[in-house]
Amino acid sequence: MHRVDDPTGGEISMAEMTRRERIMTATHKKRADKLPFFCLWRHSHVGWVERECRNRGMGIFWARPPYITKMHGVKSSETQVVSSGKVVLRRTYSTSVGSVYLDEKREPGVEQWKGLSSWRNVAPWQTERLIKGPEDYKILKYMVENTEYIPYYFPIEQAMDWLGDDGVVINSLPYSGMQTLMVSWIGSEGGRFFIHHAKYPDLVEDLARAINKSREPLYEIAAKSPAPVVEIGGNIDGVLVNPKLFQKYFMPEYEKQAKVLHKHGKLLATHMDGRVGVLKDLIAKTPIDIIEGLTTPPVGDLPIGEALSLWKDKAIWAGFAGSVLILGPEPVKKLALNLLREIGSGDRLVAELSTEIILSDENMLLLTSILEKADLPLTKEKIDRIERSLA
Amino acid sequence: MDKEKYLVSLKESIVNLDFDAVVEAAKEAMDAGVDPQTAITDGMVPGMTIIGEKYETGEYFLSELVVSGEVMKEGLKVINPYIKEGSAKKLGEVVIATVEGDNHDLGKNIVTTLLGVQGFEVVDLGADVPTDEIINAVKERKPDILGLSALLTVTMPKMGEAIEALKVADLREKVKVIIGGSPVTSEFAESIGADHCAVNALEGVKKCTEWMTPREVK
Repeated sequence: MHRVDDPTGGEISMAEMTRRERIMTATHKKRADKLPFFCLWRHSHVGWVERECRNRGMGIFWARPPYITKMHGVKSSETQVVSSGKVVLRRTYSTSVGSVYLDEKREPGVEQWKGLSSWRNVAPWQTERLIKGPEDYKILKYMVENTEYIPYYFPIEQAMDWLGDDGVVINSLPYSGMQTLMVSWIGSEGGRFFIHHAKYPDLVEDLARAINKSREPLYEIAAKSPAPVVEIGGNIDGVLVNPKLFQKYFMPEYEKQAKVLHKHGKLLATHMDGRVGVLKDLIAKTPIDIIEGLTTPPVGDLPIGEALSLWKDKAIWAGFAGSVLILGPEPVKKLALNLLREIGSGDRLVAELSTEIILSDENMLLLTSILEKADLPLTKEKIDRIERSLA
Repeated sequence: MDKEKYLVSLKESIVNLDFDAVVEAAKEAMDAGVDPQTAITDGMVPGMTIIGEKYETGEYFLSELVVSGEVMKEGLKVINPYIKEGSAKKLGEVVIATVEGDNHDLGKNIVTTLLGVQGFEVVDLGADVPTDEIINAVKERKPDILGLSALLTVTMPKMGEAIEALKVADLREKVKVIIGGSPVTSEFAESIGADHCAVNALEGVKKCTEWMTPREVK
């Protein structure tokens, strides 16, 4: 909190918190002056609405990697091919033990928004995964065992410099082993991951272990970065990552990650934007500090208020359901007011305006007009007043 | 020899999610002269029903649902060649697709498997299917039900586009439309004029069965 000279009385008074201070205060489980809220940088456009909302308290959230990757003994090449009648980009990785490839479909405008995303903020998606059959595992294992991670803090330092007190920059690390296989290398289309896991359990587990081991140095690298939070993987959805999988393959990794990060005073965050109701008791037992992207029902299945009650040692960065954001102002207003009514005093909560899609001007203004008035601690009277102000 | 033994083996192989056992059980059943349709309806389908019950009570998860479907497919590979053409009864026909721009087909594939188990003929158009292709399939196949799936919020509007295209083609009143996918809600289904939003695969299949039940089997 900034202490400033009061020009009228010459006494010291307390100015309101910066957006960064607000987010980090709530994240450290202390009470901020107002409910912190932010937009992911890649889900926000640049323009008068964004400027106005930032002036009215909206922060920006920026995730960047603190490392670069080098693969030794692996050659990669890209070529355009037609596969199943569709034009795709084929990336082939060749090693001394064999080759694997993936096919990627890119919609018009790809790389024209931010990163690889298209104008609609849609990233390329894989139509053929790296792992197609049991013969591919040994090649991926070779690639994993010959991957080196090197500290590189420039992206973090640059973003922190640019953003200043307007928001937070966090370290972004890749998925842990089993999540990498589930989401990316084997993929879940048609239940492929589950089928591989049932048919070739030894191959799947062996490769997941190799990935985890290979990525362990990343925890120390991120722990030494200037950013205060480290987000590792995520996209957890209890429908895909059922409790048995979560307990066996995910929880031990969180323990390892937190041990390193906490030693350096860093906070561990994980992106959990799916239906995690079935995992809620197990999540409570993890050392994760921030559940990021927890999405309101109806997309999520765990009310944010219940999550706050269950996970008292964690902060929640809660996202508004994308499928409500596309329904127009009334459902969005209702969703935001419902969120305020279920989160008690509002402590330990940071609101993410959108975790999936580029936020429309209309929604950014509407949500800002609600959340900018959410002084903490929240009370029924305050929320009623906010609701009346919108009429 | 009582055929019950073979039917029990088929059922258990499904419940135990055992790829090898189902192939063996299917071969033994066919070698013993068990009617292939009976092997499916009284052997494998009861196994899938148990899986469904375990899923609904929370003992099994999506992973088991998916794997059981795959186990059943392995068994069907053995049994299907023994089925005489035209002998199978059909509850109804469903055209199903994941909409354009969306490659997520896990839910759709489970629904496809479960609809097949239930006795539907399913025409699976796959994932990332353009609206024109969906409409052409409806024109050509004249299905009872059209199932549309999306996982991404940005591709959800394609479901509405398909329903609008059905109207333009004068097909909307001739086919029930059911939508599903993680971000899809009843409010969204209503807003685009779908007949139903499936809460999950099992519920969606129940709704399809309910729609077809009052009708005569084709």
